[in-house]
Amino acid sequence: MLNELRKNLAKVIHLRSIIGYNGMVYALKKTPVIGRLIPDKLYGTKFLKVIYWVFHVIMEVFKLFIGKIFGLGMIYLLSFFLAKGYIENEIVNSVAESEVFAGLALFFFLVYALCGILINRPYFRCTPEKEYLVFMLRMNARKLNNTLFIYDLAKLVAGYLIAGIFGLILGAPFWLCAAIPVLAVFIKLFGTGVQASRFRNKNKRHKPMKDSTFSIVFGIFLVFMGMPFILVLIADGCYIPLPVLLAVAGVLVLLGLWGFTVLRGFDPFLHRRALNDNIVRNEVSRYKTPDNTRSFKNIKAKGTVKGDKKGFEYLNALFVRRHAGMLVAKPVVFTVFILLIMVLLIAGFIYKYYMQFGSDNCLNMVGTNLLNLMLFRHYEDALFPFDAESADTFFRWLAQYHMLAMLIPVSIADNSFKSTQAMYINCDNSLMTFSFFKQREKIIRLFDIRLKQLIKIHLAPAIVCGLSADLILFYTGGQDYPFQYVLTVLVCIFMSISYSVIWLSMYYLFQPFTTTVNVKSGVYNAVRIIVTTILGILVWIPANTAVLTALMLVFTAAFIFVMRKLVYKHAPKTWKAKA
Amino acid sequence: MEFVISHLVKSYGSKQVLKDVDFVFGEGRIYGLLGRNGSGKTTFFNCINNDIDINSGEFYFRGNDGGKVPVMPEDIGYLVSTPTVPEFMTGREFLKFFIEVHEEITPDRTIDEYFDYMMVPEDDRDRLLKDYSHGTKNKMQMLLNIIASPKLMLLDEPLTSLDVIIAEEMKNVIRNQKQGRITIFSTHLLDVAVDLCDEIVLLHNGRLEPIDKSNLGDDAFKEKIIAALRDQDDA
Repeated sequence: MLNELRKNLAKVIHLRSIIGYNGMVYALKKTPVIGRLIPDKLYGTKFLKVIYWVFHVIMEVFKLFIGKIFGLGMIYLLSFFLAKGYIENEIVNSVAESEVFAGLALFFFLVYALCGILINRPYFRCTPEKEYLVFMLRMNARKLNNTLFIYDLAKLVAGYLIAGIFGLILGAPFWLCAAIPVLAVFIKLFGTGVQASRFRNKNKRHKPMKDSTFSIVFGIFLVFMGMPFILVLIADGCYIPLPVLLAVAGVLVLLGLWGFTVLRGFDPFLHRRALNDNIVRNEVSRYKTPDNTRSFKNIKAKGTVKGDKKGFEYLNALFVRRHAGMLVAKPVVFTVFILLIMVLLIAGFIYKYYMQFGSDNCLNMVGTNLLNLMLFRHYEDALFPFDAESADTFFRWLAQYHMLAMLIPVSIADNSFKSTQAMYINCDNSLMTFSFFKQREKIIRLFDIRLKQLIKIHLAPAIVCGLSADLILFYTGGQDYPFQYVLTVLVCIFMSISYSVIWLSMYYLFQPFTTTVNVKSGVYNAVRIIVTTILGILVWIPANTAVLTALMLVFTAAFIFVMRKLVYKHAPKTWKAKA
Repeated sequence: MEFVISHLVKSYGSKQVLKDVDFVFGEGRIYGLLGRNGSGKTTFFNCINNDIDINSGEFYFRGNDGGKVPVMPEDIGYLVSTPTVPEFMTGREFLKFFIEVHEEITPDRTIDEYFDYMMVPEDDRDRLLKDYSHGTKNKMQMLLNIIASPKLMLLDEPLTSLDVIIAEEMKNVIRNQKQGRITIFSTHLLDVAVDLCDEIVLLHNGRLEPIDKSNLGDDAFKEKIIAALRDQDDA
């Protein structure tokens, strides 16, 4: 029997390594730049296969450490500290520390192991190597499942015994460290037996097994939600006496024996059917994966284009009209959200007056003071003296010298990426098959129209971002120099324009989308990461708003100029349909 | 006018799809590009249409005076087997837009006359293109290429999965449009090629080879082509 076990295990591990190694080479070959350098014969290189083997073994040991040694080690450690606390604070009396330790450790282990059998159920899971061995190489499914199960149990026992040494060092009783690995085996047998029994019953009634992931996750969520209360009870000195826990363990041992008998009676054909069911369930869930393009396909033939728009102007106007929800929703929601925040800020401002002057005089004061401010520019009369020590100083400093931080809200409002996706999936993907669409002059004409359109769409959120900064300035002492309010808004507008230029020109220069709207361009992703990193750095750089406006004006103009040139030069080659 | 392909090579990694394509296509004729599945017909068209880069070689028009004329995007009309159309537009809107952007073309018919010519049903004309049937989408694609009037028409299996009536209508349109241009029609269906084309060209082992067109249509000819494709594949 042992010999057969060894042979089966060798087959599985051999196949696993082939699948793993080939998968790794395939992934490397798909990596941008590096992929091109990797020859096909790498699939047959023995030296690299050995390296992969080493990596595979390290991963196995690592999994053992994480799942078993680390998990049980933490339980021992927690129990050690709690038991010490119980004894030192005299929460429990007339009980030996080792018994308290054992009771706590056993309790935590039982919760851990029962959660484990819910999450980790590999027995009937059809992995690629199982699929090849059972369905292509006609291997006996029962022998294969049992081999892997025994291998898992062996790893479990080994991991828990190693963790037991740590437990012994901490002062856990020897019987506990020896019993936990055995108990773990019985619990595992019980969990797998329940699985097998459920499958057999469902199979008798010709009912398919349902994917119970949600209920399991929900159950474990409830356990985690309940843990703080349990921990509070434990901290208060409540604990389940050891004899009760030992009785529970005894019951689990009996249930494990029951699981063993169920598994013994589970014939090879049922094993095979269970694996096949798992494949079917996986296939079904794969088909259930949300269709990325669905949100782009909700178009209705409502309305038409007014005026005398022709050619690409007409195309763009129709596109915007038929995709209004998709293009405009995000900027509009953002604008409304920021406006609401501004209303709250204004309400807070009025509330201060209310606290100062009471309800009768509040509106009168606000009105008079604002009028005073507008007509005579007597700022101090209009507002309360600004408290330089308050937290508002920070916000004022941001609005004065850190407008680059506005790159964050402006980027949140920006919908250019999704807009380019919609352009590709619903318009350009089809028009790219026509030669006129690839002519330089026509490409740049449509690029210009679209850029203007994106700028228009994002104007409102950019302005409200600027106005919210203005409100902070106004509330905390007013502008430092003439036109600061205007410049603050202008900075946000330039940022928004730059975002539109970045996304649109990247779309024209790399065209990364497939017909399923996935990004399939390593260079595009790399540029995206670089751009995001640069923006992430810029956010931290302080700059005077007036200087920043001048810089942004020059940058935006130069950026548009350069990007237009690049698009004009390269887009006829780069702006192509991808499968 | 002739369309000349000279030593065209296209590879994907180590796999050479087009090995040394060398051929001259003449004006006013329909060429049936025949090849087995995966022989590289679509790759060949994508190279000509500049959708993918070629590894080496060149292609150009040869004028009546013998001079080289470079191929510009507007010279090529490309019909793909699975037509994709801008789904947010109606057929009429798309046609209006298409005519407007082709400023160099003076349309000789109204939009409805064009629809009539291609036998696009009246109730389809103001519906979104996304709701068109496969056959009607194909007709729209063909119609747009007729309006653009390119020098070189590449038809990549355009009759695949069309019903008998629409396929016949399309064949007639292709025949009517062949004058003044070069039409290359790819298919893996021998009967379609024999029925529609003036010349048959085999694409296999990455090369183009003309087939003697004498006895075009008789059984012996068909057997000859099948034998050629099989031999090449097995070689």
